[in-house]
Amino acid sequence: MNMPQLKLSIFGAYNRNLQKMKKLGYLFLSILFITATSLAQEVEKKERKPGHRNLSKFRQLKQELPTPNKQHTASGAPGYEYTQQQVDYVMNISIDEDTNKLYGDQVITYHNRSKDNLEYLWVQLDQNMRARDSKTPEVKASSFNSIFNDPITFTENYLKESFDGGFNIEYVKDAQGKDLSHMVNRTMMRVDLPVPLVSGATFVFKMKWWYNIPPYIEVNGRSGYEPFPDGNNNYTIAQFFPRLAVYNNVEGWQNMQFWGRSEWALEFGNYDVKLTVPADHIVDATGELQNEKEVLTKEQRKRWELARKSFKDPVFIVTQEEAEKAEKERSTKTKTWHFNAKNVRDFGFASSRKYIWDAMAVNINGKSVLAVSLYPKEGNPLWEEHSTRVVANTLEEYSKMTFDYPYSKAVSVHAAKQGMEYPMISFNYGRPQPDGSYSDRVKNGMIGVITHEVGHNFFPMIVNSDERQWSWMDEGINSFVEILAELDYDPNFDTGNLPKDIVAYMSIDQDQLSPIMTQGDNVFNFGPNAYTKPAAGLYMLRNTIMGPELFDHAFRTYSKRWMFKHPTPADFFRTMEDASAMDLDWFWRGWFYSTDYNDVGVKSVKSYYTTDKPTEKAIAELKRYNLPLENYKDYLIFFAEGEPSANEILKKTTDIQVLKNYMSRLSESEKEELKETPNYFYEVTYEKPGGLVLPLIVDITYEDGETERKSYPAQIWNKNDAEVKKVYATAKKITNILVDPDLETADIDMTNNSWPKKKQDSQFDTFKKELKN
Amino acid sequence: MHTIKKYTFLLLIIPLLSFTLHKYYLSLTKIDYVNESKSLQITMRIFIDDLESTLNKINNKSFELDTKTELEDSNIYIENYLFEQFKVSINGSISKYKYLGKKYENDVVYLFIEIKNISEIKSIEIKNRMLMETFPEQQNIIKLNINNKKKSFILTTKNDNDLLKLQDR
Repeated sequence: MNMPQLKLSIFGAYNRNLQKMKKLGYLFLSILFITATSLAQEVEKKERKPGHRNLSKFRQLKQELPTPNKQHTASGAPGYEYTQQQVDYVMNISIDEDTNKLYGDQVITYHNRSKDNLEYLWVQLDQNMRARDSKTPEVKASSFNSIFNDPITFTENYLKESFDGGFNIEYVKDAQGKDLSHMVNRTMMRVDLPVPLVSGATFVFKMKWWYNIPPYIEVNGRSGYEPFPDGNNNYTIAQFFPRLAVYNNVEGWQNMQFWGRSEWALEFGNYDVKLTVPADHIVDATGELQNEKEVLTKEQRKRWELARKSFKDPVFIVTQEEAEKAEKERSTKTKTWHFNAKNVRDFGFASSRKYIWDAMAVNINGKSVLAVSLYPKEGNPLWEEHSTRVVANTLEEYSKMTFDYPYSKAVSVHAAKQGMEYPMISFNYGRPQPDGSYSDRVKNGMIGVITHEVGHNFFPMIVNSDERQWSWMDEGINSFVEILAELDYDPNFDTGNLPKDIVAYMSIDQDQLSPIMTQGDNVFNFGPNAYTKPAAGLYMLRNTIMGPELFDHAFRTYSKRWMFKHPTPADFFRTMEDASAMDLDWFWRGWFYSTDYNDVGVKSVKSYYTTDKPTEKAIAELKRYNLPLENYKDYLIFFAEGEPSANEILKKTTDIQVLKNYMSRLSESEKEELKETPNYFYEVTYEKPGGLVLPLIVDITYEDGETERKSYPAQIWNKNDAEVKKVYATAKKITNILVDPDLETADIDMTNNSWPKKKQDSQFDTFKKELKN
Repeated sequence: MHTIKKYTFLLLIIPLLSFTLHKYYLSLTKIDYVNESKSLQITMRIFIDDLESTLNKINNKSFELDTKTELEDSNIYIENYLFEQFKVSINGSISKYKYLGKKYENDVVYLFIEIKNISEIKSIEIKNRMLMETFPEQQNIIKLNINNKKKSFILTTKNDNDLLKLQDR
């Protein structure tokens, strides 16, 4: 016997259908009188609103994303007409330790792989940001914050000339040695080609230059030298040579000026570099060392052989004892270290006689890669304990999330106040106290920075996005993978990049916020904007919105598609959807294109219980529609609002005669299919004061302490952006409702998240108690 | 209310590095009036490194906060710095408060401050210039909860104080 079961929630249908049902032998109605009443009483007196366009937060990003084409396709992959230039460099570089000058000459081979003819080339002169005529200090606002100075500060502020750090270019010549016409526009140099460089052709030219190596702590830079009290310098050198700007399918020439913040867009190519430094220096760099026999001792080479086979612990190539001996002397001779690197987008190196050097092998999917560290004794004991191991862990974890690390090594160099990345080499901070002790803050900072900078090998050194344009594409995506790598190294690691960590930033004054999709130089609060927010967003996307399985496949697809290429934001957004069958436009729109924040809460909870006694509301309602109660009372289960009164004990729903009668007529197999009969009914209104749409995650706790997790997709907000109601019919009483229990969705205000409202133990009281003890 | 601010050229240039330091210049101060004890409980959450570099500059010392070599009397300097930069006025007059101490948690430090014997709060005014002389971008968020009347505001170099009136409700 199949009974019609009608659920009416709109009163309009109620009357008409009730007549029909009366004729049926049995009926089972569930009526929400509250809804019905409020609908019926609504008086339309509002003025007619004007029309509007599609304002849905779930509308597609058609206007925001560039039109796909044959170079950057609609699926987010490189198209069949995608092109990319190649630039090869042969360089001779030398460092003069006495004057702290760097001299260089280079032969640049430019391969025009585009379909276009080029009339000129643009070369990046990054050190010109430090030139005396640099506009970088000019555009910084300054205010008079101090009404008196000590003489040191006064001298610094008002008497000293700024550091003279620009490139001094001696020549720009063609392959035959003929001067080339060129024009320097601050950090960009145009090299005029004698004849246009046609598609597929190659142009060779030469440059010679020198510049003053910046004392980077004093002048705040990404590269330079740190002087030590013992008279030695630690050179961590990058952006030291004129580098070709990118010519691509999206920007043409990416020749936006370098203002000091937004980093680089660079082409891949092959490097052949000879580094001439004091003979007692230890050097490491991008690429593979070509002349081991000339620069390393027999003992050091023997140790390298051991390191290449040591997968468990680092092997010292130069021990602390040897480094301490070396730093006491000063050779006047020089040595030339020769490095070759294939298919890299940049070159960096480090040089000092203070270095301890250790290395170990890492197994990347059957291929052996070297994890290497260089650090002065000042970095110990922290560095010998962690640096190389963190490098190894980073290569392993990033490879799992992207592709097998394709280079032969990754080097972490100790540098006082740097955290900066180059292909195969990075400069990282983390220095213990002079007595060797260090706090957890210093240790975790060092683990964090090494993971981050080594991780940059993947983004942007290999997945080579345009840093000048979009800082988040390398910093944010890298900070996201960094979370996973750090948690693998230490499950209790405070990554600082989780959704909960971006709450403080997302709650600040809207005037101080920029959408992530803002060019880096124009961003307020650069750190949280370009690093934490995208990282937290991607973590949320992986763990809360998509799930690791779907996310990881899509993320790996993006990484592999754009490995050794130049992706744009649209390529990332599109690939993540293309490879997962998830429409994520709403997420990109909210998290990346707006400064909206998430705030969801429990607005109200109405509870009901079932009764066979008609409630006053039910009586009134039936009366209003002229339906005699006596005709219906044996057919209806009534919902009473609130809790049963003291003298009226809650009757189990199964004890209600109407339902009992109905149930008794069901077949055994029909009975088996039924769920547990609920006794408690709740209508929960979730409100959303925040502008973002995100999944709604709720923990419902019952009287017996059991907790049930409800996860609603973000689409729960697609019909009503302000609030949404949910009905829960439960066998047990609900004692507690908590929204976003695991702090997954960066809810900026937790005070409205729980029902009933919770009184939290104040941190202040806890502290006072601790003081007393 | 100026103190010796030896801020240097160096600190004026906001870091140009590609850091993992996700730097933003923000503090959060929760101020609760507790009726039972008639006291005002203040918890200030600020970044350790920002506080340290500020203290180092002002006092020409190396504080090494949250390390084994932290200056033993660091709390005295923190208290002095608080007294200079953080002011609470209740019912129109500046209140003397007690700095109880601090607690480190990862990269932030919580400073605990208490004002006792407040029978009634008609108005409360907060001035918070903490770290602003070293970091012009510094924003100090204040969250007040006085007898369940809540207000929060953001103090910046341009506007370093705000007032909450409670009497005329």
